[in-house]
Amino acid sequence: MNHDDLLSVPSPVVSVNGLGKVFGTFDPSMIERTGPTTGTARDAFSGSIVAAWDVNFEVAAGEALGIVGESGSGKSTVLRCIAGDQPATTGDVRFTCHEEGTVNVLRLDPATRRRLRIDKLSVVYQDPAEGLALGVTAGGNIADPLTAAGWRNFGRIRSRAAELLERTEVPLDRMDDIVRNFSGGMRQRVQIARALANNPAIVLLDEPTTGLDASVASGVLDLVRRLLEELDLAVVVVSHDFSVIEMLTQRCIVMQHGRVVEEALTDQLLEDPQHSYSQKLVAAARA
Amino acid sequence: MTTTVRRLADATRDLPFALLDEESKREIRRALLQAVATPGYQVPFGSREMPVARGWGSGGLQISLAIVGRNDVVKVIDQGDDEGVNAVNLRRLITTSTGTEESTEVDESTLIQSRHRIPEDAMGEDHILVLQVPVPEPLRGIERDMKELARMHAEADYSKMWVSLYEDKVRNGVITQTTGYPCLVAGRYVTATTPIPRWDIPRLHHSEFLTLFGAGREKRVYAIPPHTDVEPLTFEDVPFEVESADGARCKLCGSTESFLVETPGETSSWSCSDTAWCRRRRLA
Amino acid sequence: MDTTLQPILEASGLAKSFTLHNIDGRTVSALHDISFAVQPGEHVTLAGSSGAGKSTLLRVLYRTYRVSTGSIKFHLRSGRVVDIAQLTDVEILALRGREIGYVSQFLAAQPRRSVLDLVSRAGVSRGMSRTDAREMAALSLRRLNITEALWDVHTAVLSGGEKQRVNIAAGLISPPRLLLLDEPVSALDPENRARAIDLIADLADAGVAVLAVFHDLDAISRLATRVIRMAHGRIIDDGPAAEVLPFLQPSDVQP
Repeated sequence: MNHDDLLSVPSPVVSVNGLGKVFGTFDPSMIERTGPTTGTARDAFSGSIVAAWDVNFEVAAGEALGIVGESGSGKSTVLRCIAGDQPATTGDVRFTCHEEGTVNVLRLDPATRRRLRIDKLSVVYQDPAEGLALGVTAGGNIADPLTAAGWRNFGRIRSRAAELLERTEVPLDRMDDIVRNFSGGMRQRVQIARALANNPAIVLLDEPTTGLDASVASGVLDLVRRLLEELDLAVVVVSHDFSVIEMLTQRCIVMQHGRVVEEALTDQLLEDPQHSYSQKLVAAARA
Repeated sequence: MTTTVRRLADATRDLPFALLDEESKREIRRALLQAVATPGYQVPFGSREMPVARGWGSGGLQISLAIVGRNDVVKVIDQGDDEGVNAVNLRRLITTSTGTEESTEVDESTLIQSRHRIPEDAMGEDHILVLQVPVPEPLRGIERDMKELARMHAEADYSKMWVSLYEDKVRNGVITQTTGYPCLVAGRYVTATTPIPRWDIPRLHHSEFLTLFGAGREKRVYAIPPHTDVEPLTFEDVPFEVESADGARCKLCGSTESFLVETPGETSSWSCSDTAWCRRRRLA
Repeated sequence: MDTTLQPILEASGLAKSFTLHNIDGRTVSALHDISFAVQPGEHVTLAGSSGAGKSTLLRVLYRTYRVSTGSIKFHLRSGRVVDIAQLTDVEILALRGREIGYVSQFLAAQPRRSVLDLVSRAGVSRGMSRTDAREMAALSLRRLNITEALWDVHTAVLSGGEKQRVNIAAGLISPPRLLLLDEPVSALDPENRARAIDLIADLADAGVAVLAVFHDLDAISRLATRVIRMAHGRIIDDGPAAEVLPFLQPSDVQP
């Protein structure tokens, strides 16, 4: 039975196949010496870290996929390899918004990958200092991707920045303040505004609310969720926080020691986790 | 340095033509050829110790010495002034080591070395303008990491420069950068125009003459060949404007159409920055 | 009930067990050998004492729980048949909303969303236009006695009963073909419960198949066309409401 004929499943915007990232020298034999079965991502023989291995998933437009796991599980590494912040060791990552998905973006030259980052794919980092220039105004931080995409009209850059800040609920009278003077929650909002500047098809969120006060975090989360609904983005959310995953995603993968140990509907993961590690995570989150 | 000083001091010995040995001149000329072939691109070269300190025109001097020929007529100016101490010294160094003639008149000169100005007089295809450059990197104030700078130039990724122009306009209402205004050369490289005033920038665009830039301390040369696009970076809706002051005119020649500088210690007193041009107007 | 119709859902040999890896790897069996079918327009109530497996069964059918063994044949609008137990996660998501809906007794936490927005959003996610969805949302909120003054407040500030009614409004707007209801009116006062039950009663008339858990005998007698009685994870009785209801124990409708 071919289910694709029966249900209209949205076609993926992001396809990740066999993604792997090893820090240190690589030798195929280290794969079986690492991972959940041996309880470590570090290969005792070589000292290399198998940060992520054999990661596969797809994300469609209007869909958010969660990557769950503790720190060191490899979830952020996966995100960074997809974003191009780190070179992957192996794997195949395709975006249908780039060359109709015929090209493995991991093989692109750095300049082309950076072009992708300007108008096709954005990342929102946990640490605003990674996604923003703190000494630059909120408007200037948005002007950056706009000018990179060829915007040369000051007035239009201003009004686009204002529109985005309004959308992310940053008071407009703060548009010309430098970001360093902003609170943590406000910095995240500016980061999100910047991420949306060139209408990307793909947005990657790396622990977007970790480190924020609970009430501030819920405001940012709420903003992200509304944007997901309105903008038809393909989104990957990395978080160790199940409340984030629950609010933003419909599906997720669970990573431990660099491997995917479970793939599930988000409600299923929370109610009926299959893998012992997932059960441990969910039990800890519920406690 | 000591070698050079000894050589200079020893009047009985023959100096090589134009002070530099032929190998050095060749190396500099090779760098210059590459610079001309890639307008606006900063070409590294092996900057030599010169009998002037780095930062005092040693880059420009090396270019002048590397390209000067026996039939050249040399003009050297400092901020438009042929009689500046440094201009005089550099001119002497070039002429005494080559036996070439010197002039303060543009139309008599073929090789013009300058600090911070382009002469007011029109120059043609027979002129080469050599500019002394303190900071050849236009992105220096924006990015410190040399590798990242190289990448930005390589990929023509100048969004940070645009952000700095945006920030300047937001904070100050205008783009405040006055001298050394960044320009996009031949549609490719953003280039530092040395600290020449904005006044001179339009004269680099599609010029008849070749402009060579030398930064001795930073060990870089670059070029704007004749008939090259030189566009000052500015927003479409924020026009590039040259310096002007209401009612300013040269107190000596009465000029309102040249680059004027304020007389130190006086208010509303202006004079031409280009002294040769001003003198000729007064004599005429 | 029109028995000549194709069933919409056919569960056969369904079992569910939980393996608790971190509690000495023990296995807890929750459902055994569940087989039944539901027709369009049928309202089937699941009865049974606490722990009998009623909610578990609803969650298995919605795939919030993974199926251990057995199959859940679902007849799509197009007439094709899929096995919910075998569908991929992406396919389940495509099935949810338009084909199968689930209304629990709790409103999922959505702190800053307004009432009208939440309900119309549910309609949009099932393919309604924004204007239609807003109209329908307004209509069902009125029927559920949620006054207009509350429409633009955030759901977080609502009372438990208001939240539950909003949840029902969202679950029933542009209803899917099979609706799973898990004690949807548990927190409502008698008047509002009656209104909600009226709304649910309309579903069967519209041809929606309903599989519900109530702990309220009045609701069951009013709504159920058929009752499935469960105990210890098994079906112990399955028949027309009129035949099964007289045999229900008070404990069968306890939460």
